Amino acid sequence: MTGATLFQWALASLPEIIVITGACILLILGQLVRKGQEDLLVWASVAVVLIAALATFMLAGEVRPAYSGMFIADRFAVFFKFVFYLATVLTFLLSRKYADIEGIGSSEYYVMLLFALSGMMIMASATDLLSIYVGLELMVLCTYVLTGFLRHERRSNEAALKYVILGAVSTAIFLYGVSLVYGLTGTTQLDAMAAAVSGDPLDPGLLLAVVFIVAGLVFKVGAVPFHMWLPDVYEGAPTTITAFMSVGPKAAGFAVILRVFLNPLVAASDVWIIVAVIAVVTLALGSFVALVQDNFKRLLAYSSIAHAGFATFGVVAGGQDGVASVMLYLLIYAFMNLGIFSAVIMMRNGDFSGEVIEDYAGFAKSHPGLGLLMLLYLFSLAGIPPTAGFFAKFYVLVALVEQGFVFLAVIAVLLSAVAAYFYIRIVMVIYMREPERAFEPALTPLVRATLACTAAGTIGIGLFPGWFLRLAQQSAFGG
Amino acid sequence: MTVPLLSLIIFLPAAGAAVLMFLRSDDAVRWTALGFTVVDFALTIAMLAGFDTTTHEMQFTETRAWVPAMGITYALGVDGISALFVFLTALLGWICVLASWVAIDRKVKEFMVALLSMQALMLGVFCALDLFLFYVCWEAMLIPMYLIIGVWGGDGRVYAAFKFFLYTLAGSLLFLVGVIVLYFHGGETFDILALTAQDLPFRVQSWLFFAFLIAFAVKVPMVPVHTWLPDAHVQAPTAGSIILAGVLLKMGAYGFLRFSLPMLPEASVYYSTLMLALSALAIVYGGFLALAQDDLKKLVAYSSISHMGFVTMGIFSLNLRGLEGGILQMFNHGVTTGALFLFVGVIYERTHTRSIANYGGLMKVAPVYTGFLALFTLSSMALPGTNSFVGELLVLSGGFAANMAVGTAAVLGALLGAAYLLGMYRKVALGPASVGERYEIRDVNAREMAAILPLAVFVLWVGLYPKPFLNVIDASVKHLLTEVHGHRSGQ
Repeated sequence: MTGATLFQWALASLPEIIVITGACILLILGQLVRKGQEDLLVWASVAVVLIAALATFMLAGEVRPAYSGMFIADRFAVFFKFVFYLATVLTFLLSRKYADIEGIGSSEYYVMLLFALSGMMIMASATDLLSIYVGLELMVLCTYVLTGFLRHERRSNEAALKYVILGAVSTAIFLYGVSLVYGLTGTTQLDAMAAAVSGDPLDPGLLLAVVFIVAGLVFKVGAVPFHMWLPDVYEGAPTTITAFMSVGPKAAGFAVILRVFLNPLVAASDVWIIVAVIAVVTLALGSFVALVQDNFKRLLAYSSIAHAGFATFGVVAGGQDGVASVMLYLLIYAFMNLGIFSAVIMMRNGDFSGEVIEDYAGFAKSHPGLGLLMLLYLFSLAGIPPTAGFFAKFYVLVALVEQGFVFLAVIAVLLSAVAAYFYIRIVMVIYMREPERAFEPALTPLVRATLACTAAGTIGIGLFPGWFLRLAQQSAFGG
Repeated sequence: MTVPLLSLIIFLPAAGAAVLMFLRSDDAVRWTALGFTVVDFALTIAMLAGFDTTTHEMQFTETRAWVPAMGITYALGVDGISALFVFLTALLGWICVLASWVAIDRKVKEFMVALLSMQALMLGVFCALDLFLFYVCWEAMLIPMYLIIGVWGGDGRVYAAFKFFLYTLAGSLLFLVGVIVLYFHGGETFDILALTAQDLPFRVQSWLFFAFLIAFAVKVPMVPVHTWLPDAHVQAPTAGSIILAGVLLKMGAYGFLRFSLPMLPEASVYYSTLMLALSALAIVYGGFLALAQDDLKKLVAYSSISHMGFVTMGIFSLNLRGLEGGILQMFNHGVTTGALFLFVGVIYERTHTRSIANYGGLMKVAPVYTGFLALFTLSSMALPGTNSFVGELLVLSGGFAANMAVGTAAVLGALLGAAYLLGMYRKVALGPASVGERYEIRDVNAREMAAILPLAVFVLWVGLYPKPFLNVIDASVKHLLTEVHGHRSGQ
């Protein structure tokens, strides 16, 4: 290995290096920051992410493989990294006031988020089962801790414990799949794996391995049958972390799933049938169970299961449009879901939790502007035009029909009509009920900025999807 | 460069909604909303004045790229059929503002914003020449309409709004899948005219026909997917009912005219008997239901189901008279039933009851009101000299030519119409003036008159001299017929 190669490798992973170095510096800085100066931590964390984003943007021009086939910096990874940056920065902005109220204003909170971010970035760039594993574990270990961050709350502790145990099981399943692949093909690299099996009829052992790997990944995106942890963890975790987890790690999970599925290994096998079943069951379960939820965070947890199901339909479709549809879906989902979570987070003020849907009765009466914003996010989540959520679903359906899966498209739209019901139910509570008590949302400038950004994304992509669509299409096969 | 007239017509109400957001006083909101809708109406008159009735080609067309990666464009244009409905929508637009002048007394600003956005989207539906644009407008209408019913409606408004939303959403989503299938079968384009020119295999046409049918049948609404309509109508505020009856129900029929017939001609011909039977069922069943109602609004709502049956019957008779009658009847139903809902609203504001049993002898206390009510009641039952007579006669002659049994059933439905409408009028207007003892009733005021008079003018104008209206649609309908039958004979 020469110095030049080493430099090339470092250059390819520069954004990751920036984030990890930044996190380490923040860890030290956090010990020096006095009480009342926590703002500094937020801005330093945001700065780290912005520098990483700048580096990503500068390096996006060409494809850079690195670390002997373990890692690649291509447009596919760049697209996902920007989704992660978006999720992380908005989480930082939302966290400041919330952390004060919950009394979790320590610097580790921000450091953990940055490490989780770096894990997700590695996942998006990984081209080897082992580097996928490294990124995955880095990400989930941080989210385990963040889930249990409300130490004095039993719900939070329970959620973290549940998450750790189930997460470990899923990791074990994933690793078992990896070891099978290695045993059968002698490699863990996605490309080499494909070369090893091309031409021959597929080894059933290899199919089993793929199923194990898919199972491990499916856990991370919260798809059926590995979704059981999700509602409890979402409910127990600090709301800011729930918002983050519903967008960032989920997108990271999909990045890996797409990377594995881009691979001819899977394209050649009939794994899509498994994935189609997962998609249908996930969407159905998420939609139907959400109907009976009274807790807003739990409802959003099931909504996030349903959305994972819908995005999985894009994976089933495959091909360039299928992959691009999932990517666009995740980007749009990041905007609208962080938007609705901002609304939930801003309700947390004093002794008021804003977690029960009934808390929002008559909200539009006392706060017409905020009510309208929630209406926008909820209709977008339900997939009603002209919001971005409609275009996300529309493009997934286009990809499905293009591949001839008209029947699956019909199932998907029927189930999303069910899902629309519970979003509209919240709109009903907000607009059509009389307020029961007065409440003052914790509207700091940072929360306002988050709401404005997510609203702009939700309505902007809805009205002018052209540019984002082309971006997703170009990034889909960027490598 | 020419003036983008259709864009102006669509975006003027939207701009009005944006302006309203910044106003503070309720009166300023009302007057501004009225101003924007009246100017919009004037623009549609200008459009009709410049409309060339000799051609079936799309006019006032505009095209701009929107999502080039998928061939989605912002394309607008009107032919005779859509021009008529653009005009009707703008006409009912300012009448709705007048109808909610005092009826809406809380959150006036929000209501008017919803009303104006609704108008912009409805105009978008009728002008769209791109399927994607059409679908976006078609579906986005759910948001303001859901709020109009759910926030400003009667006691059961939440249930009614839910039902309306879910029925139409479920229908539309299947339509969306149909649209996407059409996109791939029609050469990856959303251009409505290009898709119309495609020859699709019969099997594909059949599937698409039923996917579209579900969406359009819910909107029309046809029996058996009509049950959301009485709920929505009864609970909606007056302006909401006028929009629902006047324009929203037309969207389904318009869908048949714009998509099912020209794009799926063989399937339309093949399944026309089924559609005629469903129409006859709607006419008779809706009539019987209306006969049994005591609630004024419910009665008009069920009569709408019956009347829309005439419309679909005219369309699927697939001959010139039937089609022209069906389209004219759509316009007539918008005017007449819109007016009837307006009348129910006017009297409801005074008495706060809609039960027919509570009325009686209204003629003595409100002679002008009952006089005009008589005109619209007679129009609704298609008395000669009124607008519906012309439409219904055309539909019936078209229906008889297509299928004798269905035509006979429709005549029975027309008889039923006379029964429930005359019964309603007798109970409400005639007899001893018991209603005057119970409620303090003033006759119509100038504002209400301003809303009623133009509708009355159209009732008589179309009734006595329908030629200008038939002229507008004539060329387009003839072209539509050659598309439907031409494809078939060309095989």
